[in-house]
Amino acid sequence: MKGDAGTSEPPVATDESRTAARPERRWGELVLAAVVTALGGYVLTTAGSIVVPGSTNTLGPRAFPYLVGVMLAGIGVVLAVLVLRGRAGQQEEGEDVDPEVRTDWLAVGLLVAALVVHVFAINVIGWPFAAALLFAAAAVVLGARPWWRAALIGLVLGLVIQVVFGGVLGLSLPAGPLLEGVPFLRG
Amino acid sequence: MDGFTTVLDPVYLLYALFGVFVGTAVGVLPGIGPAMTIALLLPLTYSMEPTAAIIVFAGIYYGGMYGGSTTSILLNTPGESASIVTALEGNKMARAGRGAAALATAAIGSFVAGSLATVALTFVAPFVARLAVQLGEPDYFALMVVAFVTVSALLGSSVPRGLASLSLGLFLGLVGTDTLTGQQRFTFGVPNLADGIDVVVVAVGLFAVGEALYVGSRMRHGPVEVIPVEKGRRAWMKRDDWRRSWKPWLRGAAIGFPVGTIPAGGADVATFLSYAAERRLAGKERRKQFGRGAIEGVAGPEAANNAAASGVLVPLLTLGLPTTATAAIILVAFQSYAIQPGPLLLVNESALVWALVASLYIGNVMLLVLNLPLVGMWVKVLRIPRHHLYAGILLFGALGSYALNFSPVDVLLLVLVGLAGFLMRRYGYPVAPMVVGMILGPMAEDRLRRSLAISQGDLSYLVTSPFAAAAYAAIAVVLVAGLWLRRRERTTGARV
Repeated sequence: MKGDAGTSEPPVATDESRTAARPERRWGELVLAAVVTALGGYVLTTAGSIVVPGSTNTLGPRAFPYLVGVMLAGIGVVLAVLVLRGRAGQQEEGEDVDPEVRTDWLAVGLLVAALVVHVFAINVIGWPFAAALLFAAAAVVLGARPWWRAALIGLVLGLVIQVVFGGVLGLSLPAGPLLEGVPFLRG
Repeated sequence: MDGFTTVLDPVYLLYALFGVFVGTAVGVLPGIGPAMTIALLLPLTYSMEPTAAIIVFAGIYYGGMYGGSTTSILLNTPGESASIVTALEGNKMARAGRGAAALATAAIGSFVAGSLATVALTFVAPFVARLAVQLGEPDYFALMVVAFVTVSALLGSSVPRGLASLSLGLFLGLVGTDTLTGQQRFTFGVPNLADGIDVVVVAVGLFAVGEALYVGSRMRHGPVEVIPVEKGRRAWMKRDDWRRSWKPWLRGAAIGFPVGTIPAGGADVATFLSYAAERRLAGKERRKQFGRGAIEGVAGPEAANNAAASGVLVPLLTLGLPTTATAAIILVAFQSYAIQPGPLLLVNESALVWALVASLYIGNVMLLVLNLPLVGMWVKVLRIPRHHLYAGILLFGALGSYALNFSPVDVLLLVLVGLAGFLMRRYGYPVAPMVVGMILGPMAEDRLRRSLAISQGDLSYLVTSPFAAAAYAAIAVVLVAGLWLRRRERTTGARV
């Protein structure tokens, strides 16, 4: 039933073929399995340096980490073997996910960048504007055109959330230097 | 009864209505399951008092469930797992111009089953709580092991990947200060990590950010296809539909509630069991309709889904044991108000618990009243352009983690967890076991160490209590039965 270990051909030629056939997917899975194994190794090596106070009876603070480390390392190895034998994971399905499309790594990178910029912008320009920035950037990356409409929606959304969460619900979101004096925006 | 007097206060009624409305609106959005709905809406309740927050949550919980079924009936593409069978039959019905009837049988079935299950919850919960008081430390540890094994084996398509996800969650749970000795573990010298990683950050990161990144990586472009719903009485449930629906509703409730109460995979398993039962019980003529839009196939599973949602609350409230990702996030919400679900909850916080149960009854009525006339609005919500939808999800996810401590570190952590969630989705690792592992891990460690402190290191103490022994035996049974069901599920899915 199963193909030769290590060949690039999928063992079963049903709908798995489109997922298992791409070699770079297998590399990705192997890397993930390796990360799990490595994390297990890390946990096992550092668990020994957790300080055990003298008063601890029987099971101290190291035992559970050792258990978790063994689990991580063991499962990581099992997964790597499974992937090498051609048993690839089934990617998750979803309403808005097109299984036929190749992964757009650029979009993922840009979305992450938008989030990071948002984080550092909060304290500089205030939450509503940082929020507008995040929304507009993410929407444009995902295909919103024209860009100024996404920016406008983002700005309105940011201000509305600021009023509702900061003003009404009392969450202390920083309004930023521009809106500092507006009373109903403050938490 | 006191619960009702609390909830019938106009202010709380308004809160309940708000929760139900928001829960449905967010639950309707494609790509957002009940777990993500609750995770995303957590910040709404940060500044509320506990009773109001719990009432809003009850509404969001049911509303999110209900919204999901609307999505799967009217959208062309498969949705969250608990409503996949609904998608199978309901979608076919909608295409045949019977969308209004499918939505109606789902709504009324959810109402009937949800109400019955809430009645069952009202009577079962105090009983289980009385039993639970007698459980010892090893018994609790055994229960948690049961939850670990079933959650990672049953929530997802691959057992090793489920276990990997669980182990990653257990690791995240280790980060922080050890509760029993006060030692820091795996904090990497970062002061913010000394208190541990906030579960909300991980839940929102895995469910919301991970999903948004994953969709972003392979977005379905082009216009959104929503199946139109005919208006007017002619398209609604006819007498024949009622006749064919009421038994599946009751059977769905009878299947869903018990399945929900045991840690066996939650609502997913309940819906598939109900679907299989309806298929089997249908006469020869009717069976042919299954897979082509049989109303029984919508009525039964939808009822089972809602009944299981109430069933899940039994172990959650009485044992503090979350058996699904959604329940795990509700547990987090409780804990953020310093409410610890467990056998003593019904004694210490009885007013709160009964307010929650009462708001489940009320929420059910509201859902029925709201949803039948508002379908047109939900259809509009379904049409939100996807780029705005996922940009909004990212924004609310970022807001939720930022508002925890108003510290940028939490949002950076959110991005990291989100990336992990993206990779896990991409390579078929279920994310739910990670959340459950992270929440239950520290609790399990606590119980284990206390047990062994009592027995002075004697490992056999863990299995000698009859309850614990039964629990470990049950793992074997549940695993075999659960995996058998999964296989059936897949063959059912393949056949249709």
